[in-house]
Amino acid sequence: MGTGFDFNFQVIWESVPFLLTGLKLTLLITIFGLLMGFFLGTLTGLMKISRNIVIQKIGGIYIESIRGTPVMVQVMFIYFGLPLALNMRVAPMVAGIVAIGINSGAYIAEIVRGAFQSIERGQTEAGRSIGLSNLQTLLYIIWPQAFRRMIPPLGNQFIISLKDTSLLVVVGVGELTRTGQEIIASNFRAFEIWLTVAVMYLMVTMSIAKVLNLMERRLEIRA
Amino acid sequence: MIQIRNLHKSFGDLEVLRGIDLDIAVGEVTVIMGPSGSGKSTLLRCINRLEKITSGTVIVDGQDVMDKKTDLNFVRTEAGMVFQQFNLFPHMTALENVTIGPIKVRKMNHNKAKKLGMELLSKVGLEDKALTYPDHLSGGQKQRVAIARSLALKPKVLLFDEPTSALDPELVGEVLEVMKQLGREGMTMVVVTHEMGFAREVADRVIFIDEGVIIEEDTPEEIFSNPKHDRTKSFLGKVI
Repeated sequence: MGTGFDFNFQVIWESVPFLLTGLKLTLLITIFGLLMGFFLGTLTGLMKISRNIVIQKIGGIYIESIRGTPVMVQVMFIYFGLPLALNMRVAPMVAGIVAIGINSGAYIAEIVRGAFQSIERGQTEAGRSIGLSNLQTLLYIIWPQAFRRMIPPLGNQFIISLKDTSLLVVVGVGELTRTGQEIIASNFRAFEIWLTVAVMYLMVTMSIAKVLNLMERRLEIRA
Repeated sequence: MIQIRNLHKSFGDLEVLRGIDLDIAVGEVTVIMGPSGSGKSTLLRCINRLEKITSGTVIVDGQDVMDKKTDLNFVRTEAGMVFQQFNLFPHMTALENVTIGPIKVRKMNHNKAKKLGMELLSKVGLEDKALTYPDHLSGGQKQRVAIARSLALKPKVLLFDEPTSALDPELVGEVLEVMKQLGREGMTMVVVTHEMGFAREVADRVIFIDEGVIIEEDTPEEIFSNPKHDRTKSFLGKVI
């Protein structure tokens, strides 16, 4: 009379190809979502340090409203809510990318803002004093230095966004978590499958951390 | 070269400059002295419009810095600035620090800019540090690179804001040496400094500022040996 539980390697082995397909979707959503988030975040982060009060406020409203609401609600709003108002259908995959993009954008905005504000005023003044325009100073002097300071918190955000994609199960995107659920629904091997899913997430997040670490050190050596 | 008339500058309620009149001729070396908070740095910063002036006029090489039609980026290349904290760009080599201005502002091609940059670095004695990043330079070396960076735009006047105040004493000499050489070559310079030796040797004129007004101006010999105003006397008494 045991507990009746015997760990089954065979089911893991059989599920891996399916889970990898799910992982591929997870990575796609994360990559495109973060690209969008990086663009949105840089834009709104800079808006927040603009001297124009209206621009500043618009950036602020975006950041506050996204940070102040759960990702899950944002996902469902984008997938189930918005299409009703706009009278159009949105593919789950697109909704997922947009949700991750809009969500990470708000956090990236704060990272961008913080990094820019941490660059000493003297750098801007030195840029302006040799005749660089405001935009040139931003592009050639401030941005490269600020970007370096953004890497560690950006890495953190990449990992958070990757994990957030698991919430997309609610809209039926066949990413890693959803794939795991579906496999379990047919074989009931919850322990093995969730363990495999967890290990897959972990391998990706650890790789992200590793790559960013290398990037940070490379940039460090140069200056 | 520079004409300043009735210049006022306030930060909120605090009036830092209270009516400055000053003319600086081509080739002249002017040293500005005064207690801290007297407005010396602000005066320099108003000349190349790092600070917006409250009232009065500042004309640099015929261009009114407050005129809306004036291209400020252009005015700034005419009046180069050397800062107390050097403000070198840490992500660029010494050479890149010097060449970014010519490349981005003057649209000079890279090879020409590089050649100019190397000439300027050797002028300040640092051609062997061309590929070094600022973090690996001493304070004196950083300031010399900063001078080369300003010279790269071929400015008509160089403004120095306490260029040696952040340096260890043994590094001051090398920076002053470069500045003296520039003075001898006929560069128009306005220098905020407390280096009496430099003033005595290079300056055509010393201006003493306190509480936002010019108290006294004269040749260095006259002002150091025979200051007329009490405030100048007590200040010089403390500095020397």
